[in-house]
Amino acid sequence: MARIELLNLHKSFGAVQAVKNLTLNIEDCEFVVLVGPSGCGKTTTLRMIAGFEDPTSGEIRIDGRVVNDLEPRDRGLGMVFQSHALFPHKNVAQNIEFGLRMKKMPSEERVKRVREVAEMVRITHLLDKMPGQCSGGESQRVALARTLVTNPSTFLLDEPLSSLDAKLRRELRAECDRLHAELRRTFIYVTHDQEEAMTLADRIVVMRVGEVVQIGSPMEIYSNPVNQFVADFFGSPSMNLLPGEVVHENGIARFRSIRFELPLPEQFKAARPGAGTLGIRPEHVGINLGSGGAIELPVRLVEPLGKETLLYFDAGADRAFVAVSAGLKMVDVKVGAPVALSFDPRRLYLFDTDGQRVNV
Amino acid sequence: MAVATLPTAEMTAGKTSRAASRARAIKRFKLSLLLPLIVLFLLVLTPVLLLQLYFSFHQWTVYLSTWWDAEYVGFDLFHSVLTDPRFGWAALRSLAFAASSTIGCFVFGFILAYLMYKPFRGQSLYYIIFILPMLTVPVVVAYTAEMMLYRNGPINDAISRLLGVDFQASWLTNPHLALTTAALLEIWNWTPFSFIIMWAGLTSIPKEPIEAAEILGASKWRIFWEVQVPLLRPVILLALVLRFLEAMAEFPKTWALFQGGPGSATETLPVYIFMTTWQYFEISKGAAMSYIVIMLMIVIVLIAIHLLRREKCALDTMYQRRDEGEAVEV
Amino acid sequence: MTMTKSQRRRLTKTIRYAVLTIWTIIAAFPIYWMVATSFKPDNQWFSWPPVYFPDPPTLDNYRNVWLGAQQYAVTQYAISSQKPLVSLWNSTVIATTSTFLSVLFGSMLAYGVSRYRILSEARMFQLLMLRMIPPIVVVAPLSLYYSAIGLLDSRTGLIIVYFLTTLPYAVWMTKSFIDEVPREVEQAAEILGASRWRTVFEIVLPLIRSGLVATFLFILILTWSEYLLALILTKTQVTTLPIELSKYQGSTEGRVYGRQAALAVGITIPLMIVGLIIRKHLARGFSFGMVRR
Repeated sequence: MARIELLNLHKSFGAVQAVKNLTLNIEDCEFVVLVGPSGCGKTTTLRMIAGFEDPTSGEIRIDGRVVNDLEPRDRGLGMVFQSHALFPHKNVAQNIEFGLRMKKMPSEERVKRVREVAEMVRITHLLDKMPGQCSGGESQRVALARTLVTNPSTFLLDEPLSSLDAKLRRELRAECDRLHAELRRTFIYVTHDQEEAMTLADRIVVMRVGEVVQIGSPMEIYSNPVNQFVADFFGSPSMNLLPGEVVHENGIARFRSIRFELPLPEQFKAARPGAGTLGIRPEHVGINLGSGGAIELPVRLVEPLGKETLLYFDAGADRAFVAVSAGLKMVDVKVGAPVALSFDPRRLYLFDTDGQRVNV
Repeated sequence: MAVATLPTAEMTAGKTSRAASRARAIKRFKLSLLLPLIVLFLLVLTPVLLLQLYFSFHQWTVYLSTWWDAEYVGFDLFHSVLTDPRFGWAALRSLAFAASSTIGCFVFGFILAYLMYKPFRGQSLYYIIFILPMLTVPVVVAYTAEMMLYRNGPINDAISRLLGVDFQASWLTNPHLALTTAALLEIWNWTPFSFIIMWAGLTSIPKEPIEAAEILGASKWRIFWEVQVPLLRPVILLALVLRFLEAMAEFPKTWALFQGGPGSATETLPVYIFMTTWQYFEISKGAAMSYIVIMLMIVIVLIAIHLLRREKCALDTMYQRRDEGEAVEV
Repeated sequence: MTMTKSQRRRLTKTIRYAVLTIWTIIAAFPIYWMVATSFKPDNQWFSWPPVYFPDPPTLDNYRNVWLGAQQYAVTQYAISSQKPLVSLWNSTVIATTSTFLSVLFGSMLAYGVSRYRILSEARMFQLLMLRMIPPIVVVAPLSLYYSAIGLLDSRTGLIIVYFLTTLPYAVWMTKSFIDEVPREVEQAAEILGASRWRTVFEIVLPLIRSGLVATFLFILILTWSEYLLALILTKTQVTTLPIELSKYQGSTEGRVYGRQAALAVGITIPLMIVGLIIRKHLARGFSFGMVRR
């Protein structure tokens, strides 16, 4: 099968360093997602694996063999592009059979294979159509089929869903998941959407400005972010981040912010005093109407979403402080009313001035 | 179903020819694309230029049997060309002809493009008629001109009727008028070229900034000068440069129609070189003249390249395009 | 004086139609004259006052020029040594062959520049400017060179020269079309196993079909109407139509306007048809990278 190793990969475009010293091992049959904001180097990395970009330095190995100097077509890979990149002048069937023609497969076999794959992605009714006549979702399925038919050991997917609307995106996301489970191949997936990363990945590689920030399973990334950037990037609504400082009084560590002050739980007992940021996810904030919580803040906005309600508070930070309540229990809270909020102590995060997580 | 795996090391030991080295394959591909150009240059252009260079330093007349017996004369030929007043006049005529016809083409082309770039009724019909002059063969223009411009011809007749006076200009035989006639013919022939380029430029300007300016109170005139013209600079420059260079090399209209005359009224550089080489058979002098003209054109061309590249650069930044579309979006 | 929108609109419309009509007359009249003269009997070629409409129109000029029908020739206007049909054939072969070569190799070169940067931007401009060197300055040594290698007075010789002089245009024009093909489509083909050559011929070029046609037809216009090189590089064996036309200007023949017009019409009509077919693409092809859409 296919094990992919990236060793000390560098890529510069003139003065711009797109990828810095990337080392990553991708196991066989894994679903790896490279995720990060624009400019983080995820697409460049994918293209280096494919062979469309040459690394400035470093090695790429597939199954132990160095492939830096191999043509894309000789690496045993398949790729699905963001713009699906179908051949506009060939019909769907011709698009799908293209890879097989390159392998000199005889015509009857090709027809059979094309039909098999078309059934797998459910586009048999489109085989005679031209790409221009297909919708966005259909086109992306054709692109998948075109790649599937050549049976690559590894699938590379470059933001395949970003040009689709939200509903289609969810449908095709499920499709990707299903294909991965059925085919048992390695999937390397690039996206800037943290939700896609969280739902699809076996392992997530978080990248930023050319560097790997954290590698881990979705659970790890979510509950153990290595720094403020990762904590902020994942989770929707985003984690609440409150600037303030750590002070020690009478042997107890406390966190002092503009609007409030609260004692820090046991694990932060040894935290160094000084400026820092406190983090807590909206879903881990407990809401008590009336009083009796760690802090009390007036409500600024109530957002009923159906399955949950969001409450916005002003905690003195740039962003509003958000708390989530399940269902529509809190929908009648009046704006301006004081609400007591409590924090699950195991879910508090502390970040220092560099954004690094303060570990316990 | 068999999986397309990467060939293992043992398997490819015997098949390295198939898994071609990427860097080498790219190099080979690039070279084969360039090959026709290189071949053409080496086999045709270079020998010809070298031969011309040889002749400009060696005196040869047709009476000599073989050309490699020509005697070396150093810079004498160049000297005689540069001190030849007739050459100077020819150069001046060429420049005057090229400059006036280029400006004429540009002005008319621009006016037409400006009047035509917004859709209106009958636009496509006008467009068709306006590009017709460019589709006439230049020699044909020359001979048709002769048919129309003789003293009692239709042009003079029509002008007489319009103005109510007896207009009998000798377009073709009056030495003072001949070069102007040639320039007018050139303008007629090539205005469509400038027209199309300007039209392309005008239609490519996005509507929104113009509409925004209108709502903000700018008059049509101001919009023209402050929004449209700056964005059209590269296109204007292109139209001017290309036309000027082609006009410097113009031959059919001056030769076929006038043969450089009457007298030497239309003796432009191409005509003079032609006459020197094929009527007076002074090959070497023609060669020296040619090289001087080449030098002149290279200077003009280098200036043109510099200006065009600068405009292209500005355009690239304006539209934030990267060279060759390299996606730096990672 | 401030005008209302409709007043201004009317004024603009009037000016526009006035100017356009004037230019229409200027542009169309010489063409009309040429066509009209080709149908005039010989006593109306340069009569005074000028005859604006042939009366009666006659096909004699065409019969004499194109079909070599001598019986329609008035003795003093007999032009015996011309063979317009042969020239027509020569022109067609030379123009189409050189244009085809130009577009084929030009588009390959353009692909290389667009995707692999085989020529820098400076070189591309230099290539374009190369075409701007007046052909007159190289014709003399070229004719010597050709006579030495036996290409003088041959169709092949002209084809090669025309190929060389039109290649810069071919490269520039096709490049602007190639630039618009998204790279991802090529990369998809590559990763599916297509070689580079296959990608060029099976994927990229078919996608710019209309651009290739437009470029082809535009360069055809240039090669069809070329005069100077054809004049010098051909003698007796090969004549192209423009040269054929100039033979009617010999001093022994006098002013055979009708005949010239008939020949001229034949030279011009194909070109006009071609030009009108591609008129929508002319704007794009002429932009040379200076216009963004």
